[in-house]
Amino acid sequence: MAGDMEEYLRPGVRTPFCPGCADRILVRLILRAIAELKIDIDRMLFVSGIGCAAWIPSPHFNADTLHTLHGRAIAFATGAKLFNPELITMVVSGDGDLAAIGGNHLIHAARRNTDLTVICVNNMVYGMTGGQVSPATPMGIFTSTTVEGNRERPFDLCKLVAAAGAEYVARYSVSQPDTLVSSIKRGLETPGFSFIEVISPCHIQFGRRNRLDTAAETLRFFAGKCLMKDEAEGLSPEELRDKIITGEFSNGRNQAD
Amino acid sequence: MGEIKQIRLCGLGGQGIVLGGTILGYAGINDGKWVAGSSSYGAEARGSACRSEVIISDEPIIFPHVTRPDILIAMSQEAYDKYIKDMGRDGETVIYDEQMVCTKEISGLRQLGFPAGSVATKELENKLVANMVILGIVAEVTRIVSRNALLSAIEKNVPERFRALNLRAAELGLALGRAQK
Amino acid sequence: MAWKEVRSALPAGNYYYSGNEAAAEGAIAAGCRYYAGYPITPSSEIMEWIAVRFREVGGVFIQMEDEIASLSSVIGASWAGAKAMTATSGPGFSLMQEGIGYAAMTETPIVIVDIQRAGPATGQATRVGGGDIMQAKWGSQGDYPVIAISPWSVQEMYDQTINAFNLAERYRVPVILLAEQAVGHLRERMNVVEKIAIFNRRKEKGAAPFGAGDDGVPPMPAFGEGEKLLVTGSSHDDYGLRKVADPLVQARLTARLHNKIVNNREEIIQHEDYYAEDADVIVIAYGFTARSSLFAVEAMRREGKRVGMIRLKTIWPFADSLIRDVGSRAKKIFVPEMNRGQVAGEVMKYTCCDIIPYNQTDGEVIHPNTIMGELRRLL
Repeated sequence: MAGDMEEYLRPGVRTPFCPGCADRILVRLILRAIAELKIDIDRMLFVSGIGCAAWIPSPHFNADTLHTLHGRAIAFATGAKLFNPELITMVVSGDGDLAAIGGNHLIHAARRNTDLTVICVNNMVYGMTGGQVSPATPMGIFTSTTVEGNRERPFDLCKLVAAAGAEYVARYSVSQPDTLVSSIKRGLETPGFSFIEVISPCHIQFGRRNRLDTAAETLRFFAGKCLMKDEAEGLSPEELRDKIITGEFSNGRNQAD
Repeated sequence: MGEIKQIRLCGLGGQGIVLGGTILGYAGINDGKWVAGSSSYGAEARGSACRSEVIISDEPIIFPHVTRPDILIAMSQEAYDKYIKDMGRDGETVIYDEQMVCTKEISGLRQLGFPAGSVATKELENKLVANMVILGIVAEVTRIVSRNALLSAIEKNVPERFRALNLRAAELGLALGRAQK
Repeated sequence: MAWKEVRSALPAGNYYYSGNEAAAEGAIAAGCRYYAGYPITPSSEIMEWIAVRFREVGGVFIQMEDEIASLSSVIGASWAGAKAMTATSGPGFSLMQEGIGYAAMTETPIVIVDIQRAGPATGQATRVGGGDIMQAKWGSQGDYPVIAISPWSVQEMYDQTINAFNLAERYRVPVILLAEQAVGHLRERMNVVEKIAIFNRRKEKGAAPFGAGDDGVPPMPAFGEGEKLLVTGSSHDDYGLRKVADPLVQARLTARLHNKIVNNREEIIQHEDYYAEDADVIVIAYGFTARSSLFAVEAMRREGKRVGMIRLKTIWPFADSLIRDVGSRAKKIFVPEMNRGQVAGEVMKYTCCDIIPYNQTDGEVIHPNTIMGELRRLL
């Protein structure tokens, strides 16, 4: 499989990601989904904002890439997609980019059900700028701007986007590679707005400040929190506190209503 | 120097003052003239003071706002009171809706009152087309635009379902204007 | 060259359009087929006109959630191959600044129509202003090129919107039609000719999309053409590859962006002279104020006064050599503006001649009588 994907990577480009970064895994998983769907990558447009996750497609993917302004990836993608509907358009960006500075564009694109596949790479922190709190940081977590632990509630991004009207909404972790690849494929095949939140931990900015000293420890910490949706059914709110529920949350408009 | 005429229409928002100005200007274009038009109104769409100005000229217009009106068309008392101050030279004309405006005596100024609103209400059962009645009167009395230019301007600028009504209103105005002479 | 002659979208003849309607029609004539916007007084009629007309000519129109999104999507559409534009007024123009910087950096052809109103902030939404001159040039961070045009009539709202698209496509640069409310809402006779000349962006398969062409303007492919484009607002090499710490790449790129406009300014800058030849006092004016000024100048010429006017049709790049020349001939230069002297300051940069600004920021146009009064004091 990996060999097949080499053609999807831009020749001569080195990865900028820190050793152990989960985004390196995600690079492979996104390309695997595209390869399995046998999509001609020249038909694809990858749009990203600002931050570590925005560097996943740009410049690595050997396709058209549009690396935009902070928060605006979805708005840029909307223009390209509406003018040329033949472009299979995927947005890849982080939680801070898509949900804080770009939050308005996110909910409005979901409302319009614009035919985009949005991969929200959630490391629950601003990685590139030095580990500040993001709207997806869980309560109690230490960041460079929450020195006594985060006191604000994070967004449940999937609920937010589903409520705004997205066609397909799912959440998986890089520690669930096969289901995640299937989900990205579902997203690409779904006409309308697809939103896939990917838990992709940052051991440098997130882990280090929260006593998770290595990449493996950080990954294990999050993997341990992930529950599939059906596993979560019947559990009390107390048992679900701190858990990350993964699965599909909207799969067709009616479920979103 | 060719002829240049400055016209000011004024009244209340909702009376069709802006549309009236647009149609008058459009008629000027139909007559092959140079035209400039502008309007001002409050943020509220209905009931506030409203003004529309048109310049119709045989030559290109350098400054496109009215500097001194040759013709004042007043559809409300408030508007009349506000703009009558600018009038009074020889050859200037005020045309007003006699139901809406009580005039002041100004020596030498031609002030002509017409029952535009009441004709619109009585004959057409629609007070809103008083503006078209007035335009018919203005065309006939002042000759700033031709009859055909006016009627074709109305056809082009009024939505189809109101077209016949507006054209009839203008015809009534043209007749009122003729009777005045 | 990528110039070609096309049939006008409207039948030839005279029309009675508002400036805003004329700008929308000019865009359509130039080939604009993507428009994204957000409602704002006094520019909204442009968007409303486009919403109707794009159904007839086959364009893509979308009302976005704000001005930031509007301009962002316009840039995205431009890279997808569209001639694309948006329109706004001062407050929305402020929100668009990051996108203008991005378009300049990525050399994306876009057109923005800014119908200026009285600021600052919300100011007077329905009243006229001319305070966005510097915002158009320096609104986003860093040094970057823009072209800004100041139309003075409904005819120019049409003609100069076509010109704006031609310049945007020719130089791969954001072009701003810096109109004022008094022109946007003015109705006038507007003439449409049968055929117009338009410029379509140059394409060249495999060429570096950010490398210097002969004139500093590289060809521009679109997404979906198999070029595997790298487009980024970060510093980049000739192929768009991010180079965020290379001094040479940064220096070369910023210099080329600047020079591709400055070195072609003779082709870009337009102005008109009125009685300037033998004038002691020269009015330098632009936009609506140039009409008041010309009215005043002509009235005073009839009195035998030696006054003249130069109208700046292009604001950015600034007509520096023209001002140098005028300054060497005139005794005094009078600069009336609907702001606190934004162009007067530029004029002062290029001549030591006696410069007298006149600044009116009351939400009203400058009346010819006002200009005449000021000129009388200067003679």
